[in-house]
Amino acid sequence: MNNAAKTLVRVDNLKKYFPIYQGVILQQHVGDIKAVDDVSFVIYQGETLGLVGETGSGKTTVGRTMLRLYEPTAGKIFFEDTDLTEMQGGDLRKIRARMQMIFQDPYASLNPRMTVGSILSAPLEVHGYWKGREKRERVDNLLEMVGLNPDFVNRYPHEFSGGQRQRICIARALALNPDLVVCDEPISSLDVSIQAQVVNLLEELQHKLGLTYLFIAHDLSMVRHISDRMAVMYLGKIVELADRNEIYLRSLHPYTQALMSAVPMPDPDAARSRKRIILEGDIPSPANPPKGCNFNTRCPFAKEICFEQDPDYREIKPGHWVACHFAEDFL
Amino acid sequence: MAEITPQDLFVTDFAVREHRSLWVDAWRRLISSNTARLGLFIVTVFVASATLAHFFWTYDAKTDLDYALKLKPPNLRPTEEISTIHPFGTDKLGRDIFRRTVHGGWNSLRVGLVAVTISLVIGVLLGLLAGFYESMEITQGERVLLQGLVGLSLGGIIAWIGAQWVIALLFGLLGVLSIVFGKFLAGKPVRIALFALGGLLIGGGIGLLGAPMVGLVCGLLGAVLGAILASPLTGTFFSNVVMRAMDIILAFPSYLLAIAIVAFLGPGLEKGMIAIGVVGIPIYARLARSAVLSVAQKEYILAAYSVGEGHDRIIFRHIFPNILSPIIIQATMGLAGAILSAAALGFLGLGAIPPTPEWGAMLGDSYKYLSSGAWWAVLFPGLAIMFSVLGFNLLGDGLRDALDPKLRV
Amino acid sequence: MARYILRRLISVIPTLIGVTFVIFMFQRLIPGDPAVAMLGEHAAPENIARIREQLGLNRPLFLDRDSLVQGDLGGFFDSQYVRYLSRLVKLDLGNSIHRRIPVAETLGLRFPATVELALLSMLIAIFVGIPVGIISAARRNSLIDGVSMMGSLVGVSMPIFWLGLMEIMLFAVILGWLPTGGRLSTGVQIQSITGLYLVDSLLTWNIPGFVDALKHIIMPAIALATIPMAIIARMTRSSMLDVMQEDYIRTATAKGLAERVVLFRHALKNAFLPVITIIGIQAGTLMAGAVLTETIFSWPGIGKWVYDAILGRDYPIVQGGTLLIAIIFVFFNLLVDISYAFLDPRIHYD
Repeated sequence: MNNAAKTLVRVDNLKKYFPIYQGVILQQHVGDIKAVDDVSFVIYQGETLGLVGETGSGKTTVGRTMLRLYEPTAGKIFFEDTDLTEMQGGDLRKIRARMQMIFQDPYASLNPRMTVGSILSAPLEVHGYWKGREKRERVDNLLEMVGLNPDFVNRYPHEFSGGQRQRICIARALALNPDLVVCDEPISSLDVSIQAQVVNLLEELQHKLGLTYLFIAHDLSMVRHISDRMAVMYLGKIVELADRNEIYLRSLHPYTQALMSAVPMPDPDAARSRKRIILEGDIPSPANPPKGCNFNTRCPFAKEICFEQDPDYREIKPGHWVACHFAEDFL
Repeated sequence: MAEITPQDLFVTDFAVREHRSLWVDAWRRLISSNTARLGLFIVTVFVASATLAHFFWTYDAKTDLDYALKLKPPNLRPTEEISTIHPFGTDKLGRDIFRRTVHGGWNSLRVGLVAVTISLVIGVLLGLLAGFYESMEITQGERVLLQGLVGLSLGGIIAWIGAQWVIALLFGLLGVLSIVFGKFLAGKPVRIALFALGGLLIGGGIGLLGAPMVGLVCGLLGAVLGAILASPLTGTFFSNVVMRAMDIILAFPSYLLAIAIVAFLGPGLEKGMIAIGVVGIPIYARLARSAVLSVAQKEYILAAYSVGEGHDRIIFRHIFPNILSPIIIQATMGLAGAILSAAALGFLGLGAIPPTPEWGAMLGDSYKYLSSGAWWAVLFPGLAIMFSVLGFNLLGDGLRDALDPKLRV
Repeated sequence: MARYILRRLISVIPTLIGVTFVIFMFQRLIPGDPAVAMLGEHAAPENIARIREQLGLNRPLFLDRDSLVQGDLGGFFDSQYVRYLSRLVKLDLGNSIHRRIPVAETLGLRFPATVELALLSMLIAIFVGIPVGIISAARRNSLIDGVSMMGSLVGVSMPIFWLGLMEIMLFAVILGWLPTGGRLSTGVQIQSITGLYLVDSLLTWNIPGFVDALKHIIMPAIALATIPMAIIARMTRSSMLDVMQEDYIRTATAKGLAERVVLFRHALKNAFLPVITIIGIQAGTLMAGAVLTETIFSWPGIGKWVYDAILGRDYPIVQGGTLLIAIIFVFFNLLVDISYAFLDPRIHYD
């Protein structure tokens, strides 16, 4: 399905380190928090790439760095073959219009002092295509698209419920007709009953507007529902990337397997008969990753080489990438 | 799972609250508080009496003089001795204290407003910029400006020693070059050495035009400056410099600094306004900066960034409106403090020049006569100060409760 | 922790350097020539020039370009500012221009007066302010609460000098109980050990001296204490109220503990941190000397002394006195910062 499809975004060896400073008089650079440590992937046009991982795995940082909201420490980002990594000023702003983001916290991502109308007009004003009456119509249009009454254009964010605010965020992300939308845990802070509504809205919009999504989340069942392909991150690196079903049914990395075994299943019999892999220990600090494979502190299958050498991130089957020395054993 | 279409969701319209703008909300809360109402009342009386008196009840301080009425106690009805009514008595020059007190209000109001405006405008601007550049990445354009300015100003010192002003310009240029070279050899000692060499040449080379000694000193200093300019300065550097300057002002107790400034500027009510204003700048700077730091963490700032909004838009449309609350509260309390400070300056004989009616000056004039029993000359102006300041403090208290973000849903 | 303290101490240094610079600049900028001020306006020009030379006033302010051009590197650095700094480092504050007495000596004489006043005022402020705050918090929205909070607002709104004058009016003029000013009545002697008359008179068991000193200090102390008292009371109250909302207080009450126990053993300890901050800041302000109070009560402290010197263009006093005041101020703020690290186990700066 995807090999013939056009590549929208390509990320090569992306790194984002946050420096740690210590010192009495002069702050010295003593180390880094390796939030994103050499990550490479591709997003095809029209698909939804799910990105999952624990808190601290770096998935949010990947999304933000990809959009140049953080400056990458190393690596390259390509949007439709244009190199984004070093762009500045007006060029960057133009490209920004084509890739937008939906943030996690619907309460903190809307300026409490601006009306919904101003929040939605802001992107339009910055890019200057829409003016005056056209602008107002476009704002009404956006509200309708996400299922909100355009009469509420002069209300403030605090007058809306959480689910509605998230819709406003979605409307803002769509304002500039982007090609790519990065959804950074868009439903994590919503009530479960609302989550489904919002996800369905996202799907419908994708279908209607031909959007491409990078869907970052930690709710595995939801990600499964919406994604075409999935990437699993651990401690700043991608450990596995493949088609959605491959990840769920035929995962090749011990971490992915452990995650999948924890996903709730509606059928109690199947759930009972499933083997539950429980990981011991905590995720190590991203400032001090272990030598060798990052997962070696918790991996039930760790062998000697896992403590010596960082596994390569390789394409073990067409379209299926893994970073494990012993991935073949799971085939 | 049944598909729920967006159209079905209009049903949630009913969940939305009755529409109220944020300021209307705050106003309602303000009005409902007793202390705030009292404060508002006092402030209104004060402002109204001061303004009306100034414009409609003429008073010429220079001609107001009547030795015959010197230091008479208050009288509410004319007697054979005193034909005029003096509800507050008279002072050492026979002037009616009531009239001077009412007119003094106008001066106090003026001082308070001007002083607070000075502190607020400068302080908030500094604090805003400091907090902003501490939280956000600095753009290339801004960086060029910062480097250029630092190069220019520090280079100016070297230029003064060498008596060749072109040195300053060249160092400014050197600073800008540092940005232009960007990541080239970033962080490596080679780069620092290169720039130091450049500084040495600029300082030493041109300094030599004066005298060999001058060339030597300028060269050495130039090398140091070059090394500093080698690594592009961050926004945090700028913020630190600004806050340090504020710390230095804050290291002096406010009254001492105000006295010193007035001593430097000379007497006069206007000079007093400036002095009090300058002393207050760090308070607003600190306040604004900490408010900015907490707002800048919020995701809507990041969202504005991702939509392509520039720094100017983010500062003025997103950050600024959200830091207003604590600033307004501080301004109200600050007004109270400014009136007190003005009175203190007047009392000491700085600030208002006689015969201008000013409450503190009136107290300063009359307190020597306290031991001879002239209590009225001291009581009434002081009461005036107290009530006006109290009014603003009450109002400020009420505002703090009304604008409390915890109450806002 | 030690690292945090060290870092804070070091960060104070640039501030202090800036302070010395500002002090230096300021009184150079005040119009008026100290030599003229000393000798009078009609003195002969040669005498004025001689005094200026003596005081070092004819050296350039910061750096001497001309000596450098002539190749004199030492002369380059011989300027007013450099001389000022080098004397400072030796703790030589110079001599008063008008009285020819070393500044440091007079400082030593006048400083204890300010310290005594400040200490007593702080003690009053703390021992009245904190209980009032606690009671107000415990009896929230009652009459006591309303009255004390209104009272503290009034206290903060009153000009100190006016309060002092009212006190004098009531207690000295009308009632005649207390003296109108000064530190001791004429003829009363107290042996000076610490410089604090109240302490010294007790140490030497000089009861009449003690009473006299007390009579003189009580009014200015109360006047000076009013504002810190009010602020401490409000801060204690609001901090206690914040803490009392917390769940662990509710748990303690639910366990059946008496109100007083809950209040003192649980709530107070945690509510104290912001109060300590306020106390530290107020102490710094008071220590720095209260010009106004000292003026009204003719109290021989450093506040009035520096004020007179500024107006009289007596540079060395201004420099020395202001420097001392600024250092005290900075020191107290530093103390407050450092106390955070000790008082709140949650705060961990490194």
